[in-house]
Amino acid sequence: MSVIRVSPLLLIFLLSFACGPSPERGDDAAGSPLNVVATTGMIGDLAVSVGGERVQVISLMGPGVDPHLYKASEGDVGRLTAADIIFFNGLHLEGRMAKVLERMSARVPTVAVAEAIGEGRLLADPEYRGSADPHVWFDVSMWAVAAGAVRDALAELDPEHAEHYRANASAYIERLDILHREVQRKAELIPEGQRVLVTAHDAFNYFGRAYGFEVRGLQGISTSAEAGTADVQDLATFIVQRKIPALFIESSVPVRTIEAVQAAVRARGFETAIGGELFSDAMGSPGTPSGTYTGMVTHNIDTIVSAFGYDPGAAFAGEAAPAAD
Amino acid sequence: MESDDLNRSTAIDVTDITVAYREKPVLWDIDLQVPRGVLMAIVGPNGAGKTTLLKSILGLVPMAAGNVRIFGRPYAEVRRRVGYVPQRGSVDWDFPTTVLDLVMMGAYGALGWVRRPGRAERQAALDALERVGVRDLAGRQISQLSGGQQQRAFLARALIQDADLYFMDEPFQGVDATTERAIIDILKQFREQGKTVLVVHHDLQTVPEYFDWVILLNVRRIASGPVSEVFTEENLRLAFGGKVGFLSPHEAGSGEHHVLERKGAGD
Amino acid sequence: MDLLSFFSDYTLRTVALGAALLGAVSGSLGTFALLRRQALLGDAMSHAALPGIALAFLVTGSKAPLVILVGAGLAGWLGAWFVIKVTGLTRVKEDSALGLVLSVFFGVGLVLLTWIQRRPDASQAGLDSYLFGQAATLVQKDLVAMAVLGVPALLLMLLFWKELKLLSFDPEFAFSLGYPVRRLDLLLTTLLVVAIVIGLQTVGVVLMSAMLVAPAAAARQWTDRLGVMVLLAALFGAAGGMGGAVLSSSVRRLPTGPTIVLFISALVLVSLLFAPNRGLLWAWFRRLRSRRRLELRAVLEDLHALSLQHEDPYHSHRTAVLRAMSEGHGGADRSLAELESQGLARRVGADRWALTPAGAEEAARWFGGGEGRA
Repeated sequence: MSVIRVSPLLLIFLLSFACGPSPERGDDAAGSPLNVVATTGMIGDLAVSVGGERVQVISLMGPGVDPHLYKASEGDVGRLTAADIIFFNGLHLEGRMAKVLERMSARVPTVAVAEAIGEGRLLADPEYRGSADPHVWFDVSMWAVAAGAVRDALAELDPEHAEHYRANASAYIERLDILHREVQRKAELIPEGQRVLVTAHDAFNYFGRAYGFEVRGLQGISTSAEAGTADVQDLATFIVQRKIPALFIESSVPVRTIEAVQAAVRARGFETAIGGELFSDAMGSPGTPSGTYTGMVTHNIDTIVSAFGYDPGAAFAGEAAPAAD
Repeated sequence: MESDDLNRSTAIDVTDITVAYREKPVLWDIDLQVPRGVLMAIVGPNGAGKTTLLKSILGLVPMAAGNVRIFGRPYAEVRRRVGYVPQRGSVDWDFPTTVLDLVMMGAYGALGWVRRPGRAERQAALDALERVGVRDLAGRQISQLSGGQQQRAFLARALIQDADLYFMDEPFQGVDATTERAIIDILKQFREQGKTVLVVHHDLQTVPEYFDWVILLNVRRIASGPVSEVFTEENLRLAFGGKVGFLSPHEAGSGEHHVLERKGAGD
Repeated sequence: MDLLSFFSDYTLRTVALGAALLGAVSGSLGTFALLRRQALLGDAMSHAALPGIALAFLVTGSKAPLVILVGAGLAGWLGAWFVIKVTGLTRVKEDSALGLVLSVFFGVGLVLLTWIQRRPDASQAGLDSYLFGQAATLVQKDLVAMAVLGVPALLLMLLFWKELKLLSFDPEFAFSLGYPVRRLDLLLTTLLVVAIVIGLQTVGVVLMSAMLVAPAAAARQWTDRLGVMVLLAALFGAAGGMGGAVLSSSVRRLPTGPTIVLFISALVLVSLLFAPNRGLLWAWFRRLRSRRRLELRAVLEDLHALSLQHEDPYHSHRTAVLRAMSEGHGGADRSLAELESQGLARRVGADRWALTPAGAEEAARWFGGGEGRA
């Protein structure tokens, strides 16, 4: 094939990449919903709760996905590019997506919902000085602040429906307030001295602070660091010393790590059970109760309380059961 | 019967051997008959396929075509009676083993699977080393051997096999005169014992002195038979493509022909 | 870290034993790979295991380690097979084929892992942890699995010792003796795959090749006998495994797998430098000594040459002259002092040197001429 004949073909071939499916942006005038892309399922849930029918939400990370390790695929980048607005957690939760999100922020409004929470309320990361612990959704009252950030961002992008967002948000925030108090009451079923939560990684610090638990994880704030032998030993010693009856596995972290701790504890002559699976960095499957944020929070506290031998329903003895969501 | 006589007197009977490497022929339609009890040289210019001929008979190199019979049977059946001495350059002499160990490898074939060499094999190896004149090197690392000593070790390994037919690839390459003498002595002993030896040889000058039979090879068989009949200037010219040069030992490896001087035919 | 706590602590004991077992198996089998110049094959095979890990999870949906490791083993084996086929059938040379297989298989594995991470079960299966291993989470049943695989592999190696030795040294000769060389090659490859599979949970795909090659490389420095070399490689591997486990249990947040590899690398470094005969330091000292001897001889020769030009063999000569003659060959002064201490030369006055009778005799013997002048 001569060069003359190849070049136009080559040119067309190359150009076809430039004309990809072009996203249609902000088509709110016609009434079609906004394309919202969220990173974690919890944030996606926020967007749905605040946005209502005005938004179409895609969560990149589904059930069981670890946000610390998640790498954006080609398809994800496509979805991000086609979005009208992007919501992510921030505070380095999405450790491997930092560059992608940075690039996106130049073209699409990109909002770090956790960073809307005032610095004074954030916990520091004990290992990386200057960084904060990103697992803010475990404190329901802080998540309400994040809801506000979503509301404000949507209202700014789509002022026509700002009222709609505000109404949804205040209803949702009210539900969150009730949930927050619920969790507090259920937590109080466990005597204070016994409230120690041992999990696979240090995700639950905010949970601990908000609901009165001492919290220990095998791995650090991020699951990307490998647990060392010393970490397993230290945790096992801690469990035996404090006579902690249950450990918890997480839906997005390998079970192996907790099982190794359990074996080490057993070898020290103490028996500790695996109290159940907690949803830490991801929610449950959609369609199940723990597939929503509120459901996930409820599932977690119920699991913890039961594992310690108490009945979570007893928190509402004598009252009407709280409104189901 | 005639075929029985043939079997009894023929060590190697090879027909139509053709070996190609990526479409290029390395050996083409080689026929060869080698009677028992002779020392035969394989000579030819570089790239003529000398080593390939050896290896194809042994099955180390696949043949595009060809038929091989050793003592009247396929090679696989008479393996025990055949010994192979490869080129010295084909192994890594830095391998952690002693000379004695190397020689004992010759006995592995008789030991079969799993069985380790024992006292008998050890003694046989020492005797073989004695015969080649390097008994005192038995415990030495093979990395510390000179070229001639390496060749003698290889030879000892072959001795231990006690084969009836030996294939040797360039045993005289790069060895000192004393070692060369030692090797030729062993070969002559082999002939007296009725053994047959096929040797890839690079030094034309010594062919008439060392060998009884010769095959002149240049991809095709130019000629083969007793040295006195076959080792003529005409045949040499045919084999070496017009340059009747007598290659000196160290130039054989570099692939150059040096026309040094023409010796009279039959010298 | 005292010995008592080693035996009493379950985690440390388990991790250390597992790492030691891995080190011993991979070190000894790796010796053969090293001697056959196939060190890179181990690397290619362990990287090739990654897509096997991903596919095992995808196909069976199970996160059981046994299933994952079977997938890893099959993929590693396939990688080796590919290398052999590509080298045999095309013009591609072995080192290129190894690089190809390593990167292509590993790349496919990474793509699969990225794709898998969206599935709900994937994080729990901990597939990512097979990249660098997660030694700290070894439990008793992992140890049992490693032993069940590793011990028979070692036994097979011992059983076919002489065959493997011959195969590694002279495969053509082995063929001529009637050994099925290709099948023996297969055996060795399979044993290597077993070693790799054992190591995946401990040091992971990326670092496994170090466990195969480093102990053997270190062992080569200390011995010239194959049996000793394999034993030493096993010991170094085991020591590295134990050392890494112990070290990572004394320091928080120190990943065990990489620590093991660091330990073994330290052993290699020490062996390269300090081993007698082959060690770099040794060689350096030897060279230094022989250079000194040559310099000494050269100055003695100079004195001798000068003395031959005089009627009196013990006529003294200025240091400057001797220095000039030694120009470019190191310090004449040092050699003169050494000759003096050996009684072969003596100072005359502040600045001159002469041969002694002993020196004259020695020089005559070495360099000829001037005999009987004393």
